[in-house]
This record gives sequence, structure tokens and C-alpha cells, in this order.
Amino acid sequence: MKRDAGEADGDLSDAAPASSPLRKKPAAEAERQPLPEMVETSNSSANANIVDAVDYEWSCFADDDRMQQPSSIAEDEAAKKPLIGDKEPLSALAEEYQSGSPILLEKIKLLGEQYVALRRARGDGNCFFRCFMFSYLEHILETQDKVEVDRITAKVEECRATLQNLGYTDFTFEDFFSVFLEQLESVSRGACTSASHELLLETSRDQSTSDYVVMFFRFVTAGEIQRRTEFFEPFIVGLSNSTVNQFCKTSVEPMGEESDHVHIIALSDALGVPIRVVYLDRSSCDTGSLSVNHHDFIPDLDTQKEISQSSGSDIGNFSKPFITLLYRPGHYDILYSK
Amino acid sequence: MTSTSSPSRKALSKIACNRLQKELVEWQVSPPAGFKHKVTDNLQRWVVEVVGAPGTLYASETYQLQVDFPEHYPMEAPQVIFLHPAPLHPHIYSNGHICLDILYDSWSPAMTVSSVCISILSMLSSSTVKQRPADNDRYVKNCRNGRSPKETRWWFHDDKV
Repeated sequence: MKRDAGEADGDLSDAAPASSPLRKKPAAEAERQPLPEMVETSNSSANANIVDAVDYEWSCFADDDRMQQPSSIAEDEAAKKPLIGDKEPLSALAEEYQSGSPILLEKIKLLGEQYVALRRARGDGNCFFRCFMFSYLEHILETQDKVEVDRITAKVEECRATLQNLGYTDFTFEDFFSVFLEQLESVSRGACTSASHELLLETSRDQSTSDYVVMFFRFVTAGEIQRRTEFFEPFIVGLSNSTVNQFCKTSVEPMGEESDHVHIIALSDALGVPIRVVYLDRSSCDTGSLSVNHHDFIPDLDTQKEISQSSGSDIGNFSKPFITLLYRPGHYDILYSK
Repeated sequence: MTSTSSPSRKALSKIACNRLQKELVEWQVSPPAGFKHKVTDNLQRWVVEVVGAPGTLYASETYQLQVDFPEHYPMEAPQVIFLHPAPLHPHIYSNGHICLDILYDSWSPAMTVSSVCISILSMLSSSTVKQRPADNDRYVKNCRNGRSPKETRWWFHDDKV
């Protein structure tokens, strides 16, 4: 999609429709007061009047409502892109901002010193999880790292136990776990050939399989957040002013809900997989020297110990996560190192 | 038999079918309090009887919910409506459509028929007044062609009730 100069940076056309006010409204309503007889599952329930999709009456609605229109156009736009795109040279990124902000162009040039390519994900609110899925499975496919496969398989079983302990009914999540484990098995089965790589792309683009894996990650994330409520609570209160449970019900478990730092920390910790996020935005510091910020999400110490025991490496040997994501406001894509 | 026409229905996918069978077994073992599943051989459409909770405006009144499952359940939400006559409630339209976020945008595969039923009963129980939504007539008129509530663009503004 072509971008105009003025909107390159803040262009959210790639961003998930989940950012529409319609989606965010229920979660944002802090003054919610669950009634005594309300059961836990209904905490997220919100009721309403209607904005009719077909007989849309513009005059009836405030500016807030009108904002929904562009977001549904963005939804249509998004649906035309593959869930996971082809690998593109980093120059494709520069072309996007041809006449855009000089700061961004400068930063892309800096990115070029460390990264060679990017792979885009569809902006459907699931881009973080989908990028993680592809990047992780591609890593396993290319390295055939059996130690890592065994390690994550054990982690997945821990995540299963976490959900059970939290009171989730098995049948609500087991299909999603199975699909992920099948995908993991499929990429660790043998050598990385162009055919096996093609197969990974194909399944990552298959709506059903791809969405089931995304949902698996959503379950894992929600489980980790609720398992460590005290740790996550301050982040969540700052982010959405809701309880940890409400947050999981409204902002983690439903498909299409965008991911924030909380999601990334939880997923990285739960599976013990470090993730680097590189931020491409217009920020710059006063001294004039530009740099591209990044943040490494490193699994908590317990997980690090487990990993170093199983791989025989030292704690803290996480200086370079093998998953690197490019973040632009509202959207994640995959980056490839040199 | 129903107040709206069926949504355009595709057969359940294999994975949806398996999941629903498990939900049905679970329901039979421990049905949510206040609900009765009217057994048919139709896995794709459940009709569930709900009795208003004691001490609420709907105490001992009986209503029927119709739950239709899409091809890609549970990735997609079920369609849940009240069969005629729908309870008088500020968020339930006279055509049976229910304004509840978990049935639309906030649906997640972590939910079940059972948890949805419990949420609906909770919504009934917390009502302090028996009346239709303010925009009932306009909305119902717009739905006359039998449109599914899932095609409505809902605007959730109030969750006190």
C-alpha cells in the first residue's frame, strides 16, 4: 500500500482494526461495577444500543462513531494481504517512506547495518502472535535444534497445566495446543529444504491453521498473566484500568485484540523464548545522533536457568534473541539479521 | 418455529463438530444452573430453556435461547438469540437479539455455550427495570429481512445492567 509523505509514520493502515473505538470501549470503561450476583465470566459483558451497519445514519452519531468507518476500510484492505508475506529486502521498507520523514529514512539506513530483510504480517490485530509463530517455526526448521524442541515441548505442557490449574476446561484449549504441537513436529521432522520452507509458508497462510496457532499463543499468554497476577497487575492497571482477569478476557483471549508489552512479556516468559523488538518511529534525541531503539524481552530468571541447563550454556547468554520483530506504531513485522 | 430465519448455514467443520460434542457431554454432566438443553439430534442448533433466577425481576419466568453454531466454531462466535417471546430487558430487543459484547467482538474460543448462558442469565438478573431498549423499534424494523445479530454493528456503552 502506498503511503503519502505526511502519514508515513503514523499510518495505521497496517494496524489492527482492533484499535477502533468500538473494540476498545468496553475495556476502557473503568467505572464498571460488577454486581454481587454476577459471575466471573460476565465481567466483560457490556450492553448497548446499536449502530446499524447497513442503514447507517450518520446524523445520529457523534464523532467517535464515525471513526469506525475508516477502520472497516482498513479491515478490507488488510484482508487482501497474506497473513504472512514473502521475505522482502530491507530496501522495500525505505521505498515505503520515499518522501516521508527524513528521521525514518535515516533510521532505516541504520537498520540496514544489522538487518537484511523483513517479512510482513497482515494487520489484523494478531500480527504480533503471527510473527512470533512464523519466526519461531522458521528458526526450528532452519536449525533443527532438537534440544530447543524438547525444551519448548516441556514448556507447552507446563502451560497446559497452568490453564488447568486456573480452571479452564480442557476442551476449550486442547485443540489449539494440538495444532501448535503438530506444526512444531512438522518443522522439526527433517532437513530444511525449499519444499519444507514452502510448506511452512503455506500453513502459516492457511487461515484455519494459522489462527489456531495464534489462539494457542493467546491461551498461553492469558495463562501466564493469570498465573503471575501480582507481577502483571501493575502493568495492566496502568494499561487498561481493569482487573487481570478482565484484561485476559477482553484483551488477550479474543482474536484480533492487539498485543502490548504485557502480552510480549507473558508469552516470552511462558515459553522461555527471548524476543527482540526494534522500534521504528520518529523519535530522536536532542544531541542529533540518531539511533534505532530496541528492547529485548528476556524470559525470567527461572526460565533462563532451565534453558542454560538444557543447552549447557551460561545464564545471560541471551544477548541476541533469534526472534526479531520490527515495531511500527500499531503493527509488528519480522526482521532478519545479517 | 423461530422468529428469525436461519443464518446462511454451512455444515460444521470437523474440528467444530468435535468441540461441540465435547461441550454437549460436559453440559450433560454439569449443566449450568437454571438452564435446560432441549435435546435434539441437531448439533448445530441448540435450544436452551432458561428460568429466571429467584429474587430477580424474571424469577420463575421461562424463556428459550436459540444457539446456532457457525462452520468455524469456536473461532467464530455462536449466534445466540431469544425465541419469541423475548424477555423485557433494556438490552434485549423484541426480535430476540441480545446486546452483549461476548456474543460479538469480545467472543473468544475460551468461552463455551455454558459460560455464554451464565453471562446471559447474569445480565437478566442484574436488570432493575423491565423495558425494551430505547431504539427497539428502529432496530427491529431494520432487521425485518431476518438479518443475523452478528451482522449488526453493536455499540457497547453501558455494562451496568
